[in-house]
Amino acid sequence: MDEKKTAILAEIPRLRRYARALLRDRDAADDLVQDSLERALTRLDNWRTGENPRRWLFTIMHHLFVDQMRKVSRRGGNATVPVEAAERLPQAPAQQDNFAVRDVLDALEAISPERRAAIMMVAVEGFSYVEAANILGIPAGTLMSRIARGREELRVLLDDAARRRTIRIVEK
Amino acid sequence: MTRREYTLRDIHMALDGEMPAEDREAFEVWLAANPDMKAMSTRFAADRARLQNVLASVLKEPVPERLTEVVTEDQPRTTRTSWLPAWRSAAAAAVIFAAGVAGGYLAGAGGLRTQAEAKEELVENAIGAYVTYAADQGHTVEVGGTDRPYLEGWLSKRTGLKLVAPDLKSEGFELLGGRLLPGGQSPAALLVYKDQKGAQISIYMIAKGDAKAKGTYTAKTGGPTAIYWLDKNYGCAIVGSLPEQRLAEVAKTAWKQLVEAVPG
Repeated sequence: MDEKKTAILAEIPRLRRYARALLRDRDAADDLVQDSLERALTRLDNWRTGENPRRWLFTIMHHLFVDQMRKVSRRGGNATVPVEAAERLPQAPAQQDNFAVRDVLDALEAISPERRAAIMMVAVEGFSYVEAANILGIPAGTLMSRIARGREELRVLLDDAARRRTIRIVEK
Repeated sequence: MTRREYTLRDIHMALDGEMPAEDREAFEVWLAANPDMKAMSTRFAADRARLQNVLASVLKEPVPERLTEVVTEDQPRTTRTSWLPAWRSAAAAAVIFAAGVAGGYLAGAGGLRTQAEAKEELVENAIGAYVTYAADQGHTVEVGGTDRPYLEGWLSKRTGLKLVAPDLKSEGFELLGGRLLPGGQSPAALLVYKDQKGAQISIYMIAKGDAKAKGTYTAKTGGPTAIYWLDKNYGCAIVGSLPEQRLAEVAKTAWKQLVEAVPG
């Protein structure tokens, strides 16, 4: 197998993590990764040797994710299941999550995809502001405001979740 | 050491490693003097750690084979675990996306179709075209392959696709030419190729897409085989009576050239 393919294989776990953060549902996330890999392989020639494969792959995946979001919003649908509906769904993976994990995933899901992506890029995937802004195709200033607003939203959501949980425990 | 007022913005920058080293010390002094800001900084750091921890487990999961196969195996493959990919179905339930094609906007023929129906329609039409025309040694094509730019222009204009006639010389196939076929909402294009032994293969393309899928299909034992792709704004099938491995090789060469041309 050639060097490029080896480099791509090494990035799959990270692509899966980012996709999972964007979409939550495991199969949906892996489908996004699969589509991204397929697209990447048809464009191997566009990938300049020496260019960081991670940035290149994340950029491809981000484009696919954005395309999808656009289509969904054009149809007036929700990209992710609303929080209330999600609570009614018998979700096996969610049940396995402990509360702390679930609260984080719920909060992440509740903020806008744009802010979610910005926070993930920087806080989890470890890209610099410049790299993240390039991948997401936005000015650095926009990236920074998405990160700031997103973190603030997450903080409030996590506080709410903790409060609800406390009340529930008290009620029992 | 610079002395200035810092803001929440600096807290984020410090957390993300974007604060210039020379500002760091003054920033810490400022934080220490502003308990509210200090609390905010601590909190954001804690939230980030939670986020990292929660998602770290994904890195440890074994990578599903279907993902590694995409990279290690050459296209085209025949497996896609679900016909309606979950990340699309999760987003849009059973609604099939209408295809926007070359500036035009096509509603899916007949409204909602399942993907299996779309796939069947594509391969059956493609195989039908192959059996009807590519098997006919005398009147295979309407426009010969000698003027390739004219052929491509004509078929592109009529189908609404940005269509190229792939160069398959490396596989031993010469372009005989092409013809236009009736399709649901817009015509389909058929390109026919021939090798030195007289074996013919055809490429069928139509600007009617669906959720992404691909695979191999044989209508009946011994009959021609179609290797097909469906994407959101086009369907494509390569049909021939070659051994499947050989057809797959030819299809791969053709496919690479086709996807570079078709927007998507």
